Amino acid sequence: MAFKQEVNMTNKFRCPQQEHQISRRRWLGTTAGTTVASWGLGGLIQPSVAESLRRDHKQVLFIWIDGGMSQLESWDPKPNTEFGGPFRSIPTSLPGVYISELLPQTAQIMHKLAVVRSLCTQDNSHSAGVGRIQRGDPKDRGVTYPYFGSAVANLLGPGESALPAYVWVKPGSGGFKHQDAGFLGPQYGALAFGDGQAPSNLSRPEAFDALDDQARNRLREAANRRYAQNRRRKVTDANTYVFDTAQTLMERSDLFDQSTFTRQELQRYGEHDLGRHMLVGRRMLEAGVRFVKVNSYGWDTHGDNFNGHASLMPRFDQAFSAIVRDLSERGMLENVLVIAMSEFGRTPRINGHIGRDHWPEAWSLAMAGCGLQSGVVAGATNPLGTWVKSEEYDIGHMFHTWFHALGIDARHREYVINGQPLPIAHEDCHAIKELLI
Amino acid sequence: MSEDHQRLLEKYEPKEIAVITAQPQVASAHFSPCGRYLCAGGYDRRVRRWDMTTDRPRELASLGGHDGWVEAIAFHGQTLYSADTWGKLVAWKYTAAAPSPVWTVAQAHEGWIRQLAVSSDGQYLASCGRDQKIQIFRADNGEPVRQWFVGQDLFCVLFHPHTGQLVSGDLHGQVNIWELGSEDPVRTVDASVLFLQHRLQDVGGVRALAFDQAGKILTIGGTKPKNGGTVQGTPTLLVVDFESGELRNTLEIGGPADCFVHMVRHHDAGFLMAVTSGTPGNGRIVFQRPADAEPFYSNKNIPNCHSLSLHPDGNQIAVAATNRGSNGNGRPLNANGDYIGNYSPIHLLAFSDVVQSEQASRATVSKSSTS
Repeated sequence: MAFKQEVNMTNKFRCPQQEHQISRRRWLGTTAGTTVASWGLGGLIQPSVAESLRRDHKQVLFIWIDGGMSQLESWDPKPNTEFGGPFRSIPTSLPGVYISELLPQTAQIMHKLAVVRSLCTQDNSHSAGVGRIQRGDPKDRGVTYPYFGSAVANLLGPGESALPAYVWVKPGSGGFKHQDAGFLGPQYGALAFGDGQAPSNLSRPEAFDALDDQARNRLREAANRRYAQNRRRKVTDANTYVFDTAQTLMERSDLFDQSTFTRQELQRYGEHDLGRHMLVGRRMLEAGVRFVKVNSYGWDTHGDNFNGHASLMPRFDQAFSAIVRDLSERGMLENVLVIAMSEFGRTPRINGHIGRDHWPEAWSLAMAGCGLQSGVVAGATNPLGTWVKSEEYDIGHMFHTWFHALGIDARHREYVINGQPLPIAHEDCHAIKELLI
Repeated sequence: MSEDHQRLLEKYEPKEIAVITAQPQVASAHFSPCGRYLCAGGYDRRVRRWDMTTDRPRELASLGGHDGWVEAIAFHGQTLYSADTWGKLVAWKYTAAAPSPVWTVAQAHEGWIRQLAVSSDGQYLASCGRDQKIQIFRADNGEPVRQWFVGQDLFCVLFHPHTGQLVSGDLHGQVNIWELGSEDPVRTVDASVLFLQHRLQDVGGVRALAFDQAGKILTIGGTKPKNGGTVQGTPTLLVVDFESGELRNTLEIGGPADCFVHMVRHHDAGFLMAVTSGTPGNGRIVFQRPADAEPFYSNKNIPNCHSLSLHPDGNQIAVAATNRGSNGNGRPLNANGDYIGNYSPIHLLAFSDVVQSEQASRATVSKSSTS
């Protein structure tokens, strides 16, 4: 029997019950002041909350490598072949499996990972690829599907943390990225923390004391209720969400305090952007955020690809291996689905700028954790790395796989928009069984 | 153009006389010291050789046994030294019909060997690599003499033509001058203008070094990077007084799409010859005197240039490049539906006065045979 995830798209403003099974406001009212305040510095989780997270709180760490990591310099090396490039491959902790020499630390945790080497997707441009990959490239039905983060935020809800369900730790500026949510409505957008910092002006101005602030909030809420009476629900929900979120985050400035990272943590993760942002991401996961996206930019190596990857990959290797190890050691990996991917791979042929161009035909991604087999490599490319020689997997297959790993049955669960049922993942694709527990 | 430049151009403008096609691509092509051979290290683990004394360049048996790419090649006398990106270093008698290694160091570096240099007396061979080390070997037998850790990815090494000092250039734009017995550099030249930390990427670095004949001027090549990823930057030469380390001139020899200076050489006539490549289809051959504001020759018609070698007779150059139309996000397929890679045209260019004198000589021969 299909389970329908209903979404308001009309002015009838029907509100699906499951969206409010765990009310953000209720949590704000009942837990924010106690649970949140009782969480210590350094992101350590209160035992009872940790137990709850371990038991049933599925989470996602989505590491987005923007621009296109080369599969040949990472997960699917073809050393000593025409397009193999200058680097060697190295053995990993998974017998018989080799990856690029640029991933020495990851090679040691390969038995914890699940790698797909047979991705064959549709888009070879960034403008189309980034969106379609993160939306699961659904069939075009004239609606804008949500990014994976928004989908998970909607389908699984925010959980018990009272923190935003979908956060994005990224270089550069932050802000609220409502566009990610597509037809789900802006409240399922991403709250982006530029450089892992708290949103600006988050702290209460010193000129106001707590009582003044409460009074102001009561006034705002009254105004909001009046404002909401004649407006679309999704707009007013989003408006409320932003204020609720801000209020929650005001209580959790510790999440953003990068000065409390230990020297050892910084050395393990790297003192570069990705290392620091991954540490912020780990804190968000420990605090119970449902979906954490950590972003790295600058991977579009049309020029000087090999020297580029020679400095990019070791930094990725450091941060990626560190967080997988940490999640594993803290017992979180079984509930946190870790995904590291780009919008496509890079061409086998090497251009005149000693670079590689965009290549969606045969590329790779890496995963670990929740619901997945560990120590598995799915799919294969031909000896030159030019084409997939096993079953080709599109991003729709990955969405099915990820949803399944999170306990969501994508074959039966649907969004409903204006009464129209819409599959949550491409209906021509299926989960990749060999990856799933 | 000034009269001065016009005179230089009349004598040294290179004219294409032949093109050798190497598939798959080669990283660089070099004339042997005897001038008879052209040797190119490539992406297919081989050093390829052509006999240049025949009417058309004739390919000879290649030198095999390497792994990864062969980017680093150096000569002394009848010995060719080649090194690959997996750390192997080999010496060959390159004049043999079927050369076999004279000696091999299987793991000279941990991975990518970037460049080799031979001391002017032929005693020592220096190598540098991504493992951040410089190694010195005896050139005749490959015995290690010493090695030291510099602490940065090293792109270049070069011996001073007279003093025996070694110069190295690294990813972060530092040029160090070493005595062979010293632990620390005796001098450092700041070329950090050729480096940029952009997001997670270390971009640029010292990509080329060259001395003039007297060893008084050191020229440092690279790019002034604007960004990582698809690297863009202005190809730049820093002309430095070697003794004082003083920067005499900064030559920007192209636009941002021309990007890297991959190789630079001093011509005995007092000008620099450099090649650049950047955004596919860009890049150029540039001849410019170190003190001049403008080049007297800048050729954009041969794009994607990766190396330049001056023939020992001083009359011609070989420029290894990548073919046009080398890039794109689509699926390049041949008529059989096979995926196709790129190749390297190796352009052979003779200086204009040589071409003119050959033409004149041919005209004379033709006239006399007619009469």
